[in-house]
Amino acid sequence: MSYNYEDMTVNEIKDLLRQWRESNERRSEDVMEFWMAIMEDLDKFGNEKYVLLEQVIYAALDTHQYGIASMCIVILHEKFPGSMRIARFRAMLCEAKEKYDEALEILEEIIKADETNSAARKRRVAILKAQGLIPEAIKELVDYLKKFMSDVEAWQELCTLYQQVGEYSRAAFCAEELILHQPHNHLIHQLLADIRYTMGGVENMELAKSYYCQALKLNPDNMRALLGLFLVTNNLLNHYKSSGNSGKRKDVWRLCQWAQSSAAASQRNSQVPLTQMMLNLAITD
Amino acid sequence: MAELLLDPNIRLWVFLPIVIITFLVGIVRHYVSLILSSQKKIEIIQVQDSQVMIRSRLLRENGKYLPRQSFAMRRHWFNNEETGYFKVQKRAATSQNPMTDPGMMTDMLKGNLTNVLPMIVIGGWINWMFSGFLTTKVPFPLTLRFKPMLQRGVELAYLDASWVSSASWYFLNVFGLRTIYALVLGENNAADQSKIMQEQMSGAAMAMPPDPKAAFKAEWEALEITEHKWALANVENEITAMES
Repeated sequence: MSYNYEDMTVNEIKDLLRQWRESNERRSEDVMEFWMAIMEDLDKFGNEKYVLLEQVIYAALDTHQYGIASMCIVILHEKFPGSMRIARFRAMLCEAKEKYDEALEILEEIIKADETNSAARKRRVAILKAQGLIPEAIKELVDYLKKFMSDVEAWQELCTLYQQVGEYSRAAFCAEELILHQPHNHLIHQLLADIRYTMGGVENMELAKSYYCQALKLNPDNMRALLGLFLVTNNLLNHYKSSGNSGKRKDVWRLCQWAQSSAAASQRNSQVPLTQMMLNLAITD
Repeated sequence: MAELLLDPNIRLWVFLPIVIITFLVGIVRHYVSLILSSQKKIEIIQVQDSQVMIRSRLLRENGKYLPRQSFAMRRHWFNNEETGYFKVQKRAATSQNPMTDPGMMTDMLKGNLTNVLPMIVIGGWINWMFSGFLTTKVPFPLTLRFKPMLQRGVELAYLDASWVSSASWYFLNVFGLRTIYALVLGENNAADQSKIMQEQMSGAAMAMPPDPKAAFKAEWEALEITEHKWALANVENEITAMES
């Protein structure tokens, strides 16, 4: 969605930008367009000017407009000389220009001055990741997590990195850590179930089944979890059929039927013949 | 009882000066504390300790969402006799005496300088300068119990309780100007004295240095007695029942 920014007053733009800041919406291109429109009126913003400049720096780096970013950094630097936050922005500018060594140097200085600066440490991981050095990034992130153990974002990132290198049991550990921190987020339950399903094996399948069910309990509209549940139960059904465990087989069969019918029910109005698709997916007849 | 009439000079030379003085002192205090305030430096080991405590607490609270094995693994990592985190990490008890820590000393001094000292000095000065005036009257009747609160410095047994003395008027201002400060200086300003009073009340609990050793031991015990109850044991039946 694009805004007709020429028709909007400065106050409207201000409110909109603040709303994006508060809800953590990035929308870098829109922010840059607004920046063009309000650049001259910057002094009207009062103290909000500085947070706004930070927002613009992020947006400018996202859209590769390094000139604007460094201009904003200079304005902030004049106002707050010696601020760590601005040093971090300088590091980010170097990072965006792919001058990784310079960026690392600046970050190193920040960390030396303030050991507890978690944002600078995380940027170091980001630089390693940007260079494609995934194992090094993992090592750095693990070191970080030894110090900052309840950083949810970091656990999530570590989980993604482990998944990239195929270390699923470790990724599962991270996902479990995420569940500890946010037990009511259905997407995390679904994520752990996905990892367990990928790992394979009866025990993991059983766990994947439980977590898919939990994700569906928290959000009945989670179609991915529903399809995952269908696949897991199919897989388990195969296994129990060959091992001859009839009691468990019956339970799983019921769950499989339920997953199929509720998926069909929720997709009844859509064009895709989902039931047909699921039947094709099913390994058992 | 005959109606009391106040001299208009009292309004001009007592009532208004007290308001203006309290207000200006608040403003000055705000800027002085801005000059004196120092960023508190946090040790990384403190951060690590507090984050470990959070993680352990979350494990106790939400551990039921993990499979038994994962829960036991984490508890083992925290609580194992030989290698557990809570057993291995030895934290020296933080220096109990603030007098030995020069940083804490200066902080205390600054706090006193900006909060307690002006309160005593200005309060005493106002008490001395404007003592014994009745300044205003609250527009409603009050019971006798309010007399010591509203008529400090004017000990007249038969005076109606709704009259306010100058010293009490000062205190009413100290506590009542908060919204005006918020209007003039913005939120979270340092001018507000009533906030400082509240802090001093709860200060006793806050000032106690968190002793990581004791906290670790308490957390170790709590985690040791936590029982794992797999919350997802029956979830399949729950969702199938939910729909039908």
